[in-house]
Amino acid sequence: MQVYNAPLRDMRFVLHELHDSAAHMQAIDRTDVTQDLIDSILEEAAKFAQDILLPINASGDEEGCRYENGVVRTPKGFKDAYTRFCENGWSALASPAEFGGQELPEVLGKMVEEMQCSANLSFGLYPGLTHGAVLALLGHATEELKARYLPKMIEGTWSGTMNLTEAHCGTDLGLLRTKAVPQPDGSYKITGNKIFISAGEHDLTENIIHLVLARLPDAPKGIKGISLFLVPKFIPTDDGRPGQRNGVTCAGIEHKMGLKASATCQLVFEEATGWLVGEPNRGMHSMFTMMNAERLSVGIQGLGVTETAYQSAVAYAKDRLQGRSLAGTKYPDKAADPIIVHPDVRRTLMTVRAYVEGCRALSGWVAKALDLETKATDPALRQESEDFVALMTPVVKAMFTDLSFELSSMALQVYGGHGYIRDHGMEQLVRDARITMIYEGANGIQALDLVGRKLPAHMGRLMRGFFHPVQQFIEDNASDPNVLPLANAFGALQQATAHLAQAGMKDPEEAGAAATDYLRLLGLVALGYMWARTAKIAAEKLPAANGEAGFYKAKLTTAQFFNDRLLPQAGALWSAIKAGKASMMALEEAAF
Amino acid sequence: MAGEISKVCVIGAGVMGSGIAAQVANAGIKVLLLDILPKDGNNRNAVAEGAVARALKTDPAPFMSAAAAKLIECGNIEDDLARVAECDWIVEVVLERLDVKQALYHRLEAVRRPGTAISSNTSTIPLKVLLEGMPESFAHDFMITHFFNPPRYMRLMELVTGPATDQALAARVAAFCDVKLGKSVVACHDSPGFIANRLGVFWMTGAVTETPEIGLTIEEADAIMGSPFGVPKTGVFGLSDLVGLDLMPHVNASMAGALPKHDEFHAINRDIPVVRKLLETGYTGRKGRGGFYRINKTGGKRVKETIDFATGEFRLELKPNLPELAAAGKDVRKLLEAPGRVGTYAWNVMGRTLAYAAKLVPEAADDITSIDEAMRLGYNWKWGPFELIDKVGVDWFVSRLRAENIAVAPILEAAAGRTFYRVEGGKRQYLGLDGAYHNLTRPDGVLLLEDLKLAAKPVLKNGSAAVWDIGDGVLCFEFTSKSNSLDDQILALLQKAIALVKEKHKALVIYNEGSNFSVGANVGLALFAANIAAWSQVEALIATGQEMMQKLKYAPFPVVAAPSGMALGGGCEFLLHSDAVQAHSETYAGLVECGIGLLPGWGGCKEMLGRWATDPSMPRGPMPAPTKVFEMISTAKVGRSAADARDMLILRSGDGVTMNRYRLLADAKAKALSLVEGYKPPEAREIVLPGPSGKVAMDQAVAGFARLGQATKHDIVVGGELATVLTGGGTDIIDTVKETKILELERESFLRLLKTSATLARIEHMLETGKPLRN
Repeated sequence: MQVYNAPLRDMRFVLHELHDSAAHMQAIDRTDVTQDLIDSILEEAAKFAQDILLPINASGDEEGCRYENGVVRTPKGFKDAYTRFCENGWSALASPAEFGGQELPEVLGKMVEEMQCSANLSFGLYPGLTHGAVLALLGHATEELKARYLPKMIEGTWSGTMNLTEAHCGTDLGLLRTKAVPQPDGSYKITGNKIFISAGEHDLTENIIHLVLARLPDAPKGIKGISLFLVPKFIPTDDGRPGQRNGVTCAGIEHKMGLKASATCQLVFEEATGWLVGEPNRGMHSMFTMMNAERLSVGIQGLGVTETAYQSAVAYAKDRLQGRSLAGTKYPDKAADPIIVHPDVRRTLMTVRAYVEGCRALSGWVAKALDLETKATDPALRQESEDFVALMTPVVKAMFTDLSFELSSMALQVYGGHGYIRDHGMEQLVRDARITMIYEGANGIQALDLVGRKLPAHMGRLMRGFFHPVQQFIEDNASDPNVLPLANAFGALQQATAHLAQAGMKDPEEAGAAATDYLRLLGLVALGYMWARTAKIAAEKLPAANGEAGFYKAKLTTAQFFNDRLLPQAGALWSAIKAGKASMMALEEAAF
Repeated sequence: MAGEISKVCVIGAGVMGSGIAAQVANAGIKVLLLDILPKDGNNRNAVAEGAVARALKTDPAPFMSAAAAKLIECGNIEDDLARVAECDWIVEVVLERLDVKQALYHRLEAVRRPGTAISSNTSTIPLKVLLEGMPESFAHDFMITHFFNPPRYMRLMELVTGPATDQALAARVAAFCDVKLGKSVVACHDSPGFIANRLGVFWMTGAVTETPEIGLTIEEADAIMGSPFGVPKTGVFGLSDLVGLDLMPHVNASMAGALPKHDEFHAINRDIPVVRKLLETGYTGRKGRGGFYRINKTGGKRVKETIDFATGEFRLELKPNLPELAAAGKDVRKLLEAPGRVGTYAWNVMGRTLAYAAKLVPEAADDITSIDEAMRLGYNWKWGPFELIDKVGVDWFVSRLRAENIAVAPILEAAAGRTFYRVEGGKRQYLGLDGAYHNLTRPDGVLLLEDLKLAAKPVLKNGSAAVWDIGDGVLCFEFTSKSNSLDDQILALLQKAIALVKEKHKALVIYNEGSNFSVGANVGLALFAANIAAWSQVEALIATGQEMMQKLKYAPFPVVAAPSGMALGGGCEFLLHSDAVQAHSETYAGLVECGIGLLPGWGGCKEMLGRWATDPSMPRGPMPAPTKVFEMISTAKVGRSAADARDMLILRSGDGVTMNRYRLLADAKAKALSLVEGYKPPEAREIVLPGPSGKVAMDQAVAGFARLGQATKHDIVVGGELATVLTGGGTDIIDTVKETKILELERESFLRLLKTSATLARIEHMLETGKPLRN
């Protein structure tokens, strides 16, 4: 069975103790969002995830989405869950009040997202895409479009999609062919075929709002000739009801490895009516607003799935009796000891746990910057936060999702053969996790974004928001032996960064060859920093912790495990980076 | 010595005349500057005096120092013409009218000392025409010395002599222009436009005429006719705006009038309606409302606009998008062969210009080197026409000319299957009209690394620097990094160079042939290191730099720095730690670190303090020297000439100035050798500094500027750190401060500043925009 109880204590730790939610609300002028309010929202979200979403996760995977004559039906229970999702206000959580949202900070929103993804990743995609589309419209659409579409999308009555991919172009969008022809009334006629459109057609909402990349007739070639259009499934009437059916239809859905309850659609646009969002030929710019938000969310998806895999593995490891402890029998009254006594099972569980909690702490830091970049009262802080989000977006997206697949596979291993059969739901988690490494920019592309774009930008300015606080922390805690592993790993990261800045400038292939290892190195150090700070807080609180001593002790032990067993990978990654591209590129193509 | 030119008379105080007078004065030579009487007023010298006054305010400055202007004595041709007898050379720079010039010549002939050289700066009137009806005695001493505008900065001077000219006298004038005025003297024949303008006008006229005919925008044309050919980025249209559109018709008319009927120039010299319209509406170039380009300030913003040939109206400047140009890259031949409009334009303009250049040997000059030098120095081309033909290949070029029925000049025939230049036995050779290669010879006193490199390998070398043996026991340390920016590799090689000189040589010269000696430390690297908090790396760079500067200063052999162009920040610190400086007159030195929120960290503060503290002109007491140095460093002052650097004590009394760039290394080497005998390294200085009370005074001064809005928030922080260093930190006024202490203060303050986000923002802004950020 998939086991999930929202890790509320850890979430509160991350929000209040590690990232000081009170100070954060002050910085974004939202002191009305008190600790009590946050905690009660987290509890409600946990209930929703555990009670409504989790029960339809495995069944949704089993049943999948069905396509018939242009209509897509989501699995049993989804429509009902979605209705309650909207009624309870989860759809409007982080959206602006101006259009009916609750405008709660992202630090809270990202935690709620994590819970939804833990309980049911397929389900989470529907509202997740709507939220991304809302952000793109908020940033770039005309006031008229905003007024017409945003309230309905924010309350969840209408959902959103993003239409980028075509059969012949995914990563290289410069090649795309969908056309947009201007009409006398200021609208456009959109014609073309799109594939891999998540939530492109379904039965959860009364209308679906597609954001579509297409080319204007006189557009320049390549990526600089792409514009963004809003194309509704039903053209809204003036009183805001779905009106005339638009020329966009679903020609089929994909049969996928996982994420089966999420409809991945082929959409056909035949002179569909659309409206321009943002400036002509600046579509990629507008779409990036959506894509950056989505990339962070995909990282959170990875984290969410891993949490469930971890909890399920722990439950099984405590329950499953096999063999005896190497240190001597622990449960003589039982036929065998539970497998959690075995070092290798411990290694597995500790590894997953240390990463999951580390990633949650890191996501809290990034979510804070997400709030600050738009809402900080200090403009310098807004700029710094924007830099930080830009730097960490590829790291969160790629590292969290790479880890998600690795770690859920490790968790599956705890089940042995029972993990491989469908009954326990472990293989679903592995299959579901796998897509997160691919969509919203494959992880290799994320790594290139980091080394090719983020690292050299403004002579390394984006790095400052990460490197300076870590360096400062290391200096401030120079006498603490527990900070030494972080100092060593950070040293490796600094060297790798300086090396890459020079080598990559001379030869872009060197940057490309190092990219994936470098991203992981930076991410690993970020987790190391989160763990070092976590351990410091835990050590300070432990003496007076009373009933919570177990929580802080576990934090200290897990931090130690991370330092001992995971952070040392930094040295190996630096060695690999230093080795350069030579052996990677040497083989003649024909030899493959 | 007989024949020495110790006073010059310049007649005509227009832009060129006053500019030539200023350059003579810059060389420390007295000038008598004469012009006509003013139309009204009592001051009969008002015209010449007004010209000097204007020149003192002109930017770029014709004068290298205010003191130079005092060497000019102004007069008028009615009262003072007889005083030409005091002068050894008379330069005529009056109106380009034969009658005016000849009238003056007749009057001069009556009053001048026989044997005094007379030259005209005419750009359009042939020498033989100027001499028509003049006595033989006049012709004997007469020549054309054609300077380029502005005379201080343009290094070309074309010299035309006639059959009657006294060659010894011409050689004296040439040597004077070379050594004293710093010009590269190119001998030209008495043919229309001489070399540079003959070719330059042909090229520019072709470039302008072809643009609308081929259907290119001005931006596209400037992009094609720019960096791929080694032509300055301004391009032809930018250059036309700079020299003045109004001159174009006059110059072209006079060129057309002087050239024989069969000359190719007539075919390209066509009327362009848009240009006519521009001139009619007052668009005369940058000096007027604008030209082909203009800055439109309506609407509050400064918007760059371009004239559209198709509509005749201005429109927003458009960034050219020419894939064929990008595809050609740096391959000139590929550009000339490019498909479509790009290749057509490139060939029609530059291909024909090169063909035209080839026929100027022997029409305008004896050899190809004169043509190439004239275009390099007169139009700032990176490569001369024959160097360009070598790049595209002589045979390819000739076959293309044949294919298009363009006449092939004899020198091109002579070059068939070969190149115009070659290196043989370590010497550069050029092809003569006789079909043989000849050694390219340099005048005595010219030593160039460029030549040396043909025959030798560096003694030491790494990615950012090289060391050359320049003979007689002297080594030359050359920066080779991008823009000669200073980095850890330069410091590493310097350490090796010092050891090597100590071991088996006599002296070290620090010199290079880049357009700037050095623009300072590679702050891009420092910024990146700071952004990733690699403080120990930055600290090491500062500490190593200080250590190397001290080693340079206290080395047991003489060190001479020989800068030209900018010597900023760390580049300036190299000068300050050398035993002597032999500076090109066009040296722009200063400690500019405060502009990017830092302060001199390689001993610059220390050296300037020491120099000003021991300067006899300074009042006594510990405060005046730090105050003076604070003024210079906190405002990031840069000298605008070697003379300025002397006023700032970056140059000291024994230091030398070389006017001709080509002669700098030889002069520096001679200076180094002159110091070898009995050389003793300097003694370490200890100085008295005011300590904290002095810092308070400086802080108050900065606060005062801040109140007036002249200092920014971060200026106060930077000024505070600078004050700490310059006043000796916590030192007591009764103690002396050692050099090592000041160096320590420099290091500490430098790092503190580098850790502020305001300094990082300044560095980033400077690197990205080239402009200082006032935060």
